[in-house]
Amino acid sequence: MTELIRTSDLTHRYGDVVALDRLNLSIPAGTIGLVGANGAGKTTLIRVLMGMLIPSTGTASVLGHDVASGLVEVRSRVGYMPEGACLPAAQTAADFVAFAAELAGIPVGDARKRSSEILYLVGLHEERFRYLGDFSTGMLQRVKLAQAIVHDPELAFLDEPASGLDPEGREQMLQLIARLSDFGISVVFSSHILEDIERTCEWVVMLDGGRLVRSAPIGSIGHEDALTVEVTDEPAGLVEWLTGHGATVKTAGRVLHVTGGSDPFILVRDGLAATGVGLRRMGQRARTLEEAFIEDAQRRSEG
Amino acid sequence: MSDAVIFDRGYRGYEGPRKGRRGAFWAVVREGIRRELGLRRKAKSKVLPWLLITISLISMAVVVGLHWAVQQFGVERLVAEQLPSYGQYFDTASTISLLFIALAAPQLLIPDRREGVLSIYFSRPLRPIDYLGAKYTALGFLIMGFFLVPEFVLHISLAALAPEGFFSYLGGNLDILWKIVLVAFVFFFGYTSVAFGISAIMSRAGIASAVFLGVMVMLNPIVHAVVRLATFPGAKYVSLLAFQEQPRVVRDWVFGISTGDYATTSAGLEPWMSLAVIGVVFVVVSAAVWQRYRRVS
Repeated sequence: MTELIRTSDLTHRYGDVVALDRLNLSIPAGTIGLVGANGAGKTTLIRVLMGMLIPSTGTASVLGHDVASGLVEVRSRVGYMPEGACLPAAQTAADFVAFAAELAGIPVGDARKRSSEILYLVGLHEERFRYLGDFSTGMLQRVKLAQAIVHDPELAFLDEPASGLDPEGREQMLQLIARLSDFGISVVFSSHILEDIERTCEWVVMLDGGRLVRSAPIGSIGHEDALTVEVTDEPAGLVEWLTGHGATVKTAGRVLHVTGGSDPFILVRDGLAATGVGLRRMGQRARTLEEAFIEDAQRRSEG
Repeated sequence: MSDAVIFDRGYRGYEGPRKGRRGAFWAVVREGIRRELGLRRKAKSKVLPWLLITISLISMAVVVGLHWAVQQFGVERLVAEQLPSYGQYFDTASTISLLFIALAAPQLLIPDRREGVLSIYFSRPLRPIDYLGAKYTALGFLIMGFFLVPEFVLHISLAALAPEGFFSYLGGNLDILWKIVLVAFVFFFGYTSVAFGISAIMSRAGIASAVFLGVMVMLNPIVHAVVRLATFPGAKYVSLLAFQEQPRVVRDWVFGISTGDYATTSAGLEPWMSLAVIGVVFVVVSAAVWQRYRRVS
């Protein structure tokens, strides 16, 4: 698997505030979700990887190029969609996106052609000659995405691309992002909305307070050796029996989350038989990204 | 005929050439020139720059016309010598350029910062020094145009009107060419560095324009008054703060003419000191602006 990003003890401080704390990452190509609460360090990480911020300590490489020594190479091969306002009101979408292509070194004629093609791709072909000052928030987000990919980068950093969008606009933006990997463009997509990441990405990097919580394939997060068991009677006896046989049980009313033991299915079956508690439903628990994030963050703060 | 409709053209990668840092630099230059002239922008952005260009062209035509009229109808030699020539035309061109710089320099720098566009610039293979160099270059093309085009047209016109013949005039006045170019650069650096310095720290283009004009125009009478009235040691060096006059002093020095009562000449300072001030201001301000953009980027 091609390595997209690698960091080694990457730390960045704003004065006394540690925004990134000794991050060690190895991320493969694909669609990568960067999640964390506001202030977790997502934007700082992107800006360090783009060479816009110089890390306090540690190193980072993007697409095999060291960010410190190969900045021009890195920036030639990546696109960036900032979170905040970044578009000039006095220019048309077509002109600005073409200019963004020229900034990446594409000749003028090709840049105009690419601009037209990419604005068509993001659904703004009809509006391409309108001034950006007259655009809605959703249209501006699409222009921001267009300028990030107009030069056909190998990797696009998208910082909160769905922020400020209504549900329909958000859905369209997520669909566009999901398509980028089909075009051979890897994506690092930051969001604090975990559902967006879960739907769109193949790999997730979780940050909390500048520290790495988890960097893993999305698929590996949902699977765990845990069962969700809903019972018809008071579960206290069953909980005691399961705990006595080495399982860890969390209860929420008559719903139990059972982990541990060599095989939780057999353990629960035996526990139900031994205590006579009635079973309503039982199944392997699919943990959401949100649950994984909260659990990991709690574990880290306790540890 | 098929009535099929293509709803999705898909995506095509780009396999063509990429010019890297050099391409990014010239992209910023082109965009800067378009912005200065209001090209590919709303009509109101075009009004002032094109008005100044029109005034520049008209003033050039008037000067050339006067020389032609003098030649055609014959007037006293004394009157003919009063006509504005190469050195004097810089007064007109520098006034127009001053207004153009006041308008263009803030427009080149401030909107990029205010609208957050710098984050796009610096996500591309472009360093702060490239960005600032490209902005200087963009302004340089137009300002040098304000100075050089009329001067060269005047030169060609005078050659065409010369009694000794076109080529004889050109051959006999080759030194004019380097003087014109040198003085044009002096005016450009003398004015632009101050304008860029102000634009790098202000957040509103209109206010930056006003402050620049204020510094360039209002400082002159103050400096003159100080030079005339002050008695403290070294008061004469205050005359070097009359930024608008310094290029004119150098112009007089280069062309060997005397066009006005400048603060530095009144204070008894040598003209090379005016040239040195222009150089120092350019270097110091450019370094400060570069530092600021390194932080911003």
